[in-house]
Amino acid sequence: MLTADLITPRLRWTSTTLTIELLDEQDLRWHQIAGELIALLHNQVGCSFGSWTQALEAYIGDSLNYVVMRGLAKVLSDAATFTPPATHVSPTVIRERLFSYGPVFEARDVFHTQTHSEVVQDAAAELGLSKEEVEAALFADRPSHTILTDAGPPWTPADLLARYNLELTRGVLYWASQLRIDVAGSYKDLWKYLKLFKLMFWATQEAEGYHLELDGPISPFVHATTRYGRAFAAFMPALLLCERWRLAAEVHPPVSFNALTYRLDSSSTLRSHFKRSGPFDSRLESDFAQEFEDKFGGKRGHWLLIRESEVLLLGDTVMIPDFVLIDKQDETRKILIELVGFWHPNYLKRKVEKVRAAHCQHLLLLVYEGLNLAPDAFQDTESEVIFFPRKPVVREVMEAVEAMAERVYGPRVKREKRETKKPRARGKSEKRS
Amino acid sequence: MSKTLFFQGGTLVLDDTGQHEAVPAPFQWVKGRWRCEGYHYGSLLPWIRQQHMRDLVPRWKPLALSLHDKREPHAYQLAALDAWDAASRRGSIVLPTGAGKTFVAIHAISRVGRSALVVAPIIDLLHQWYARLVNAFQTDIGVYYGGEKNILPLTVTTYHSAGDLIAEHGQEFKLIIFDEVHHLPAPSWGEAALMAPAPARLGLTATYPGEHEQTNGRWRVDELVGPIVYSQRIEDLLGEQLAYYRTQRVRANLTESERASYAADHALYMGYVRSHNLQRSHGAGWLRELMRLSTFDREARSALLARQRILRLLAGCQGKFQVLDELLREHSDEQILIFTENNAVAYQIAARHLIPVISHETKSAERKHILEAFQARQYRAIVTSRVLNEGVDVPEAKVAIVLGGTAGAREYIQRLGRVLRKVENREAVLYEVIARGTIDEGKAQRRRRGQEEMPNAHR
Repeated sequence: MLTADLITPRLRWTSTTLTIELLDEQDLRWHQIAGELIALLHNQVGCSFGSWTQALEAYIGDSLNYVVMRGLAKVLSDAATFTPPATHVSPTVIRERLFSYGPVFEARDVFHTQTHSEVVQDAAAELGLSKEEVEAALFADRPSHTILTDAGPPWTPADLLARYNLELTRGVLYWASQLRIDVAGSYKDLWKYLKLFKLMFWATQEAEGYHLELDGPISPFVHATTRYGRAFAAFMPALLLCERWRLAAEVHPPVSFNALTYRLDSSSTLRSHFKRSGPFDSRLESDFAQEFEDKFGGKRGHWLLIRESEVLLLGDTVMIPDFVLIDKQDETRKILIELVGFWHPNYLKRKVEKVRAAHCQHLLLLVYEGLNLAPDAFQDTESEVIFFPRKPVVREVMEAVEAMAERVYGPRVKREKRETKKPRARGKSEKRS
Repeated sequence: MSKTLFFQGGTLVLDDTGQHEAVPAPFQWVKGRWRCEGYHYGSLLPWIRQQHMRDLVPRWKPLALSLHDKREPHAYQLAALDAWDAASRRGSIVLPTGAGKTFVAIHAISRVGRSALVVAPIIDLLHQWYARLVNAFQTDIGVYYGGEKNILPLTVTTYHSAGDLIAEHGQEFKLIIFDEVHHLPAPSWGEAALMAPAPARLGLTATYPGEHEQTNGRWRVDELVGPIVYSQRIEDLLGEQLAYYRTQRVRANLTESERASYAADHALYMGYVRSHNLQRSHGAGWLRELMRLSTFDREARSALLARQRILRLLAGCQGKFQVLDELLREHSDEQILIFTENNAVAYQIAARHLIPVISHETKSAERKHILEAFQARQYRAIVTSRVLNEGVDVPEAKVAIVLGGTAGAREYIQRLGRVLRKVENREAVLYEVIARGTIDEGKAQRRRRGQEEMPNAHR
C-alpha cells in the first residue's frame, strides 16, 4: 500500500475534481527505471530490509523522480517477503541480560570497571554464544533487520509500472467516502469481492447491468467518513474484472479542503491483479455439473446449464444461485438451482433468509439432508426444496425442473424447426420429462 | 415473525420490521432497513425487552476477575464510582491529573464484571493501561493498535484504532472506557464512540470539554458517554504534580569535517529558501512547497537533500555523543532518561551504552518490563526517540537529557512537566544538548519562548 507522501505528489485537482498523473506505461525511461529497481531488489535477496532501504536511497541519489522511484520500490517490497533472522537465543533475552549492566562505556573509569566489550564478552559466554552472535542478535527482531527471503512475483518492468498505476489509483480511494458504480457484464466476481471486503451497497437494476452505491454501515449517520477507504481500495481491482463499468468516487484527499470527485471507467488501461474466480466453489457443485453434462448435456437434453450467471437483487445484498438452467429453445424459460451443502449454521441461516426474501418461484433448492437443518426451515419460501441423503441425484433434479418449468411458464411449445435439427436430443429429453 | 436486532459495523439493524411500523426515534429507514448508531443500544434496551425481539447484539462475556491491586480506594474515588453506578453506569468522572483515574477505571471494570474495552488517546498511554491492567487483574490483556492486534475480553486500544475494532467486535464489550474523554468531539475519534453498543460507558478526564469545544466538533460527550457523574476540583489536588527542576543547556562542538559539511549544506539549503522567498510566499507551508518544487526543480531537490543531511548530522553528531558519555558518567547513580531526535540515534545509543530503548517498535510486554525494571532501579537509564510523551507515567527520573530535538514547544513542556520529579529534596536536572552555532540554537530558543508562556509549568 502506497503511503500518502508517495501519492499526493502525483495528484492534480481543480475545485471539484481530482485526477491522477499515472505513469505512461509505454515510456521507455520508466521501463528502464522499473527494470533497474527490480534488479536492485533481486540483488538484495539474503540481505536485510535496512540494507535494501540504503541501496534504494543510494540508487535514487538526487534524482527528481524520487517520488516515483520510492513508489515503485514500495510496490516491490510490499510484494516481497522479509523474514526475521533466526537467532539461537531470543533477542529479548539478550537485551534483558545486556541492559542490566548499562550504562557501560568503551573506556574504564573508577565507577565503571568493566568496558562495553568485556560486558558483551561475559554475557555471550553465559549464553553460550560468541560475542559477534550477541551483537548481531541484540536487535535482530527489529523490522529493519528482517531478511529478504523472497523477492516476490517475477516482475517485468511492464508489470511493475502497471501495478504502480493501480496502487496509485487505489491510494486515492483510501480517501473516499462513497463510491457510485455502473457496471455491465461479467460481474460475478464483483459481488464476491463486495462481500469479502464487507462493503455495504445498494444495487438497482439498470437497462444494462446495475447501478451500485457503496459505503459502510455507519456512513448514513456521519458526515463523509473515510473509514471505509481501505476497503474501497482493497475492492477496486475487482471492478477491473468487469466488462463495462464507470466509477465516481467522492474523495477527501489531504491536498484539498473540499470533497472532490474522482472518475474512472472501463476505457482505463489499468489492469487488475485479482484472479478471475474458477468455475466452481465446491466439489458438490463440480460433481453436479459433471453429472449433468454426462447425462443431460450437449445434445442429450434441451437444457443448458450455466454457472452463476443470474443475480437476484435483494436490496443491500444479492443472491447468485449456483446454476441457471436455460431452455435452449425458449430462453425465457429459466430455472435457478442453488445447492445447499455442508456449511456453518450462520451461513445457512442467512441463506434461508435470502431465499425467503427473494420470493422466487423458479428457484430450486437442493439440500443435503445430513445438514442439521430443521425440516421447516424453508417452509415460508416460495421456492421448491428437494432433500437428498448424500448428494443430489441429477435424474430426480431434472424431473423436478421439468415440473417446475411447466408450473411457472406453462407447457413447452414444440418447435418443429429445431426438432428436425436435433431429433435425438429432443427424443431423449421427452423421455425423461 | 419475531423481530430481530443485530449489530452491523457499528450500527444496530432491525430485521423483519416494515417501513411503516412504529419504531423508536433513533432508528432511520436506510437502504431497506431500520438502522441506528450503536451507542443507542443502552437507551433502547427497555423497548427491546418490551418487544420480545431476538436481540443478537450482546456477545460480551462474564469475567471472573480478581482484583490484585489491594490498595484501598480513596474516599473520593469510591464516591466517584458510586455516583457512576447510580447513573446506570453511564457518564464521565472528572478528576485532576494524578488523582488515580486509572485506579477508578480498574474498579469500574471489576464492578461490571463483563468484557471491557479501554480507549486511550495515544499508544504510550495504551501501553501504560496494558501494564496497569495486567498488574491489577493478573490476567492476559488484549492490545489493538497498528503494531499489535490481539483481542481479549479485556482489551486496550487507541482512539485511532478503536473504529476498526468496534466495527468488527463492538458487540463483544459491555463496558467501554474513554480515557482523556475530552478528545471525543474530534470527528474521527468520536466515530468510535458512536459505533460502540456497550451500555456501560465511562469517560475519564481532568479537563471536561467546555460547551464551545463540544459544539465545534460533531459530537457532544454527554450524548455519547453520558453526563458528568462526579467532578473533583483541579485546584484541590494540583500543586504537588508540578516538577521541580532546573534546565541546563550544554553546547557540543561539531568536528571539523562535520562543521564543513554543515556549513556547505546550510548555505545550499538556506540559499535556496531565501532566494525563492519561500517563507514569505508560503508562510507555515513553505516546507511543503519546497517538497513540491523538489519533484521538478533540481535546485529545490538539492536544497531539500541538504536539509535532510543537516537534520541527520545534528541528530547524531559526535560531540553530542561525547557530552552524553560525560553526563552518563557524571550521574552514575541516578535514574536517567535520554530523548533523541530519531530512532536510528536511539538504537545507536542503546547498543553503545547497553541501555534499554523504547521506540514505536517496542511491543507492550517489553515496554512494560523496561519501565518496571527502570522503576525498580534494575535499569539505570532508558533511551527513547519521542514515544514517552504526554500523560505517560514514567517512573521517577532525576535526570533527563534531550539531544537536540525539533519537537514542538508543547511536547517539550509536557516532557519537562511529567518526567522529572523532585526526589528527596534533590533537584532534578534537564540537560539540553545542542550543537554550537547551528540551527539547534534557534530551535532551543523557540522552545524556551513556548515554555515561558506557561509560567506554572516550570518552577
